Amino acid sequence: MSDCLAPLISCRYSTLYLVPLLFCLLIISPSFLYADEEFSFDLDEFEKKPLEWGGYAELKWEHMDINQGSAFARLNLFEDSISTLDRFTGGLQIDGHYAKGIISFNWLFNASAQQDDLGWSDMADIYEAYVSIKPAPVFTAGVGKKMYRWGKGYAWNPVGFVNRAKDPNNPEESLEGYITAEIDLIKSFSGPLRTAAFTTVILPVWRDVNEDFGELDNVNLAAKLYFLYRDTDIDLTWYTGNSRSTRYGLDFSGNLASNFEIHGELAYVPSQKSVILQDDGSSLIRKTEAFSYLVGLRYLSENDITSIIEYYHNDAGYTEEEMARFFQLVEDGESRFLASGSDVLLERARDMSQKGYAKPQPGRNYLYARFIQKEPFDILYFSPGLTTIVNLEDNSYSISPEIVYTGFTNWELRLRFSYLNGGIFTEYGEKMNSNKLELRVRSFF
Amino acid sequence: MHCKKVFIAIVYVVFALVYTTPLLALDGNEMLRRVDKNMQPEAYEMYRKLINIEPDGSKKEFVLYTVKKGQDKMVALFLSPASEKGRSTLRLGDNMWLYIPNVGKPLRITSLQSVVGGVFNNSDILRLDYSVEYNVEQVSDRGDIYLFDLKAKTSSVAYDRLKMQVDKETLLPTTIECYAISGMLIKTLRYTKIKDFGNGIVRPSMLETDSPLYKGYRSVMIFAKVNKKELADEVFSLNYLSKVDELR
Repeated sequence: MSDCLAPLISCRYSTLYLVPLLFCLLIISPSFLYADEEFSFDLDEFEKKPLEWGGYAELKWEHMDINQGSAFARLNLFEDSISTLDRFTGGLQIDGHYAKGIISFNWLFNASAQQDDLGWSDMADIYEAYVSIKPAPVFTAGVGKKMYRWGKGYAWNPVGFVNRAKDPNNPEESLEGYITAEIDLIKSFSGPLRTAAFTTVILPVWRDVNEDFGELDNVNLAAKLYFLYRDTDIDLTWYTGNSRSTRYGLDFSGNLASNFEIHGELAYVPSQKSVILQDDGSSLIRKTEAFSYLVGLRYLSENDITSIIEYYHNDAGYTEEEMARFFQLVEDGESRFLASGSDVLLERARDMSQKGYAKPQPGRNYLYARFIQKEPFDILYFSPGLTTIVNLEDNSYSISPEIVYTGFTNWELRLRFSYLNGGIFTEYGEKMNSNKLELRVRSFF
Repeated sequence: MHCKKVFIAIVYVVFALVYTTPLLALDGNEMLRRVDKNMQPEAYEMYRKLINIEPDGSKKEFVLYTVKKGQDKMVALFLSPASEKGRSTLRLGDNMWLYIPNVGKPLRITSLQSVVGGVFNNSDILRLDYSVEYNVEQVSDRGDIYLFDLKAKTSSVAYDRLKMQVDKETLLPTTIECYAISGMLIKTLRYTKIKDFGNGIVRPSMLETDSPLYKGYRSVMIFAKVNKKELADEVFSLNYLSKVDELR
């Protein structure tokens, strides 16, 4: 370790203890909110204005213990032999809309910059920017960049054919949308069928337009038909076009009791394409008939614990054997590099990781569970929680306890620790880090 | 002659009862429907401020824009604070959903949960007419008030039983005790500060609540600008949840 890094490391370790300490002090300190028994309600400040905007600024600190020797540590940190990684991130998200008559313009911007032990990086992106026209509540048409979240699953959405894949560790975060044209029709009824809605989306894929969706120079079509029938939400989804193969979906959600909700999704892709690594190191595009599904529940117990549990089967995911083949390629790549200086195999592994092996939850069968205790010990706005994701094929897992405090108006504080565990050649055993401590502070405006 | 006097006396008594206490001639459920009618029009919009007060006196405030139509359709949109702005909740009968702009899709929620923390839960914020969710088991005359004993029609209703005190003169509720199926008192609601909102709407403008489950905590709801409003049924649908602000 070079001498010039010593102050940085010293600073890093003092920060390691200082930041959680400050967080705890914030939590236990007396509230600084204004206390007054007079209640007033001035409606003028809530008058509707044509232009409205808001958002949040965020600071995040992460400390990771590197799982040295794991496949993704070898791939990502091959030239930087470090045992820990500290990262500071600043972020800004701004949303808003301008409405005039039946026309409105909506936007969502996201930018972030991060400094870690490996260097500096930053990004700024337009997540959403679209115009919509709504001559009547039954009809809305829109064009522009928009985010879609089809499906009822909390962590995964196999029927979300035009969704951007979300991170199950942070499923409620905003994501970048796609440039589309859309028509939305709604009709309400009396009787067992209470609502029907039909959404049609045209999604072009050209150079510089939705390039990452699939094959270029195609105009794709997706649709969602929604029913509220006898207190059950039902969606039929469909996608066709040449950028991806045609697919069909069905989802549902309903309450079995006032504190018990169940949901499910089923997706059928007659010809699902996946890039598969062969034994000889070559790759091929596999076409299979894929049935993927998700079943889940949300339950509120008498002691105010909300449980979200989901089982997800991804027919297009990699088997344990296929994942092991990829991890073996990384190991062989490192051995060859150390022996001969050739990084051909490592580059091959990097290429394969980008084609699917490095995506979140690349396997076939997963269990997701999240438990949130609302305001225990009569501490208002304080919510401890626990989230776990288990790869049911190789039995590796991540488990993340957290605490969230929202008692200061327009502030959110979250402290989360994630522990990853698994054997050799398992998904979580081969992740880059073995654990992560994260403190996130958000200020809304 | 004696029989004639007795008959006339009985007629007087009957007439006196009919004209001086007409509500007693109604059944309890009809009286409850009148209470509902006095509380809110068939279709309306309103603004509300929710204030959660902690034992040390500190407060957290939320402002909601609400529209309601018929007996079981209601939407509430958060206007403040900034951390909650844009969130909206929809109720269609026993179904409730929460829409969070970042999440981008409605999630089913339960009536007993609270999207704002504090003593008010979702069913308090998206409250349907009492007569939609409860049957009247008994009405007692207690001087200046009627005491209604209400029993939930189904198990999906947030509180199994209510004891509702109704002012005789105005037929508006004053105090409501909410009980779980076990008989435990969950919370007490108190309506105060009757106000004329215009268009014949005269009703309490403040609702306070406390709960033995949240010792020392209180929550207050202040009502403002309650207006009758024509609304399409389609406004009360999942696809419309992201557009509720356009109704204002």
